[in-house]
Amino acid sequence: MKNRARRTVLFGTLVASLLIAAVTAAVSQGKTDAQAAPAAQEVTGSIKLAGWTSGGSTEGVLLKQVLAGFAKKYPKIKVTYTALDPYQQNMLAQFAARKPPDVFYVDSNDFPDWAKQGLLEPLGPYIAKYKFSTKPFYPRLLNAFRYKSKLYGFPKGFSPLSMQVNTAMLSRAGVRAPTTWAQLRSVAQRMKAANIPAGGRPICLQPEWPRMLAFVYQNGGSLLNASKTRATVNTPAVREAVNFYIGLINDGLAGTQQQLGAGWCGEALGKEKAAIIFEGNWVMPFMAEQFPSVNYRVNRMVRNKQPATLSFTVSYSIAKASKNKAAAWTLLTYLTGKQGMGTWTSKGLELPSRKDVKLRVPGRTAFIQDAAVGRAWQFAPGFSKVMTVANNELTAVIEGKQTVNGMLAKVQEAANEALR
Amino acid sequence: MAIAVAEKRRDSLGSAKVREAFVGYAFVILPLAFFFLFFIFPMVYAIYISRYDWGVLGPIDSIGFQNYRELYEDDLFLRGLRNVLVYTAFVVPGQMALGLLAAVVVNQKIHGRPFFRAAFYFPSLASSAAIVAIFIYLLNVNGLLNAILGTNITFFSDSDTALPSIMGLVIWTTSGTVMLFYLASLQSIPTDVYEAAAIDGSGPWRTFWKITFPLLKPGHFFVLVISIIGCLKVFDQMYIVSGGTGGPNYSTLTVVLYMYQTAISDLRWGYAATMGVVLFAVIFGLTLVQRLLFGRAEVS
Repeated sequence: MKNRARRTVLFGTLVASLLIAAVTAAVSQGKTDAQAAPAAQEVTGSIKLAGWTSGGSTEGVLLKQVLAGFAKKYPKIKVTYTALDPYQQNMLAQFAARKPPDVFYVDSNDFPDWAKQGLLEPLGPYIAKYKFSTKPFYPRLLNAFRYKSKLYGFPKGFSPLSMQVNTAMLSRAGVRAPTTWAQLRSVAQRMKAANIPAGGRPICLQPEWPRMLAFVYQNGGSLLNASKTRATVNTPAVREAVNFYIGLINDGLAGTQQQLGAGWCGEALGKEKAAIIFEGNWVMPFMAEQFPSVNYRVNRMVRNKQPATLSFTVSYSIAKASKNKAAAWTLLTYLTGKQGMGTWTSKGLELPSRKDVKLRVPGRTAFIQDAAVGRAWQFAPGFSKVMTVANNELTAVIEGKQTVNGMLAKVQEAANEALR
Repeated sequence: MAIAVAEKRRDSLGSAKVREAFVGYAFVILPLAFFFLFFIFPMVYAIYISRYDWGVLGPIDSIGFQNYRELYEDDLFLRGLRNVLVYTAFVVPGQMALGLLAAVVVNQKIHGRPFFRAAFYFPSLASSAAIVAIFIYLLNVNGLLNAILGTNITFFSDSDTALPSIMGLVIWTTSGTVMLFYLASLQSIPTDVYEAAAIDGSGPWRTFWKITFPLLKPGHFFVLVISIIGCLKVFDQMYIVSGGTGGPNYSTLTVVLYMYQTAISDLRWGYAATMGVVLFAVIFGLTLVQRLLFGRAEVS
């Protein structure tokens, strides 16, 4: 009898506590719906974050600041960051072992292959559940992390290719910075006639598709059709752009970085072997560190039929194999949110991929202006082989061992094979 | 008592063999297990994988020998194979000749012998990545070599000079290791043969070609096999010089570099395994041929 009474009391307490739990859960559910991420006290656990940013670098210090901000806001989530080098190999090994980090960087170039193989968690359900707004992201950058119409990552930042000009050399030659292909050519001709820069070439062009493709886009060409089902390499728009790019080199108006004795065109600008280059935001910390005395300015990319450029971007994504996706989502939205990205881009080492994050570092206006017309460096699964063919054929064309038409035919064939 | 001892001895004689064998195996069991786990098993597994469309998370589709058929028609693979064979054809004789020369020199009773031995061996100790980085500076268009020659050759970015430049730097780097092998081999030649030759009035040139060189045969075989295998799987120099593209104009594309791209960038692990299997077959075949050639020469 006594026993039974105790049991009833126990049962009653259990029911009551369950009820309370359910009510609190419902209440907090209602609260989170209005937020982009679960409330701070709800999500717990430890998750792993991986990238290639090394801890000791300036970027590494920034990342630590971002993570400290996250720890303050979400004290119950413990984040461990690991820098992986070489990044792809290490990540692939961890994916294969079914123990990938929860949140990690994905280069836009690797993205189609990683998404195709089912390594990444689609973000659509989370966006819907937490009403996360993707509107502040530049659409072209966001779309770089869409595969078969599903979104698998948010860009953590980006850099487009813009034009850097040595201001002193240009004024010595009495020319203004070019804005179109025609001006670029005539400016280079005038500089070459004046022997500026001495012992170099007016322009530096890297003999590779990750630079030349920007000119292809400016001419209305592309490697793939919009739905990425067919190669459009062997077309007049592409041919014209390639001829223009290679023509600048063949006519001595531009030099490759090797011809100018540099590792890349940024170094050629620093060594004053070239006055006009087309590089990204990364040129700025490099110049400040290595060649602080060289005066240069960042201008918008040249245009032809349309303004266009290439953007290089990296996302934060969640592993499909992650065991704590709620925490991973919370971290992801903080890192790519207004606050996290604000800290991350505060030194201008990478540019914010959100329009609502204002850049306070000077000298980068042209990059931001070019962002709107920048297309991500990205194609379709299996395209690394196509790029091997494309880059090798391009060097052959520059050496005069291959024709432009021959190159385009080969790249077209390789691209169609990859799409099959 | 005596009988017991004799019996015991007979007993232990029988088990001694077994025990000796047991002790022998006990000594090698660990390296053997290591060898099976990390060499034999992956090799067999690679053959298994090569018959699949295999991705990061495992098999996607069983496709029989389709990978092999694709490989047979793959221009990039064939170009890589051709580059590697050309590379091997030049580098192997080069490093053997230079290594043998260095070995013979430091085997003489000369002043500062330890210094020269160390100096010749030293490049082999440095990592290939560091050596390549240094050569990129030396062979730069404004670099040391161009300054000496008074030229403007872009050695690593011209498809005619890129591969030969890499060959040259590899021959220089690896000759130290080859020298070490030859040195060991040289010291195993008995001195009385040289004494007899000296009494017969043989000069140093003749002594080298008629005595030293033929007696180094085991050394030649070993060095040849090791060098050819090393050359066929060359990767890091090409990877660094071309930035991973195998350029310019495919001139530094090697089988392993292409395999790397296929696995790491295109995530086609089955196809990459197929290349590994074919490369293994090529290396195995070449080693067998050498074995046959050298083995036959030994008999006659």
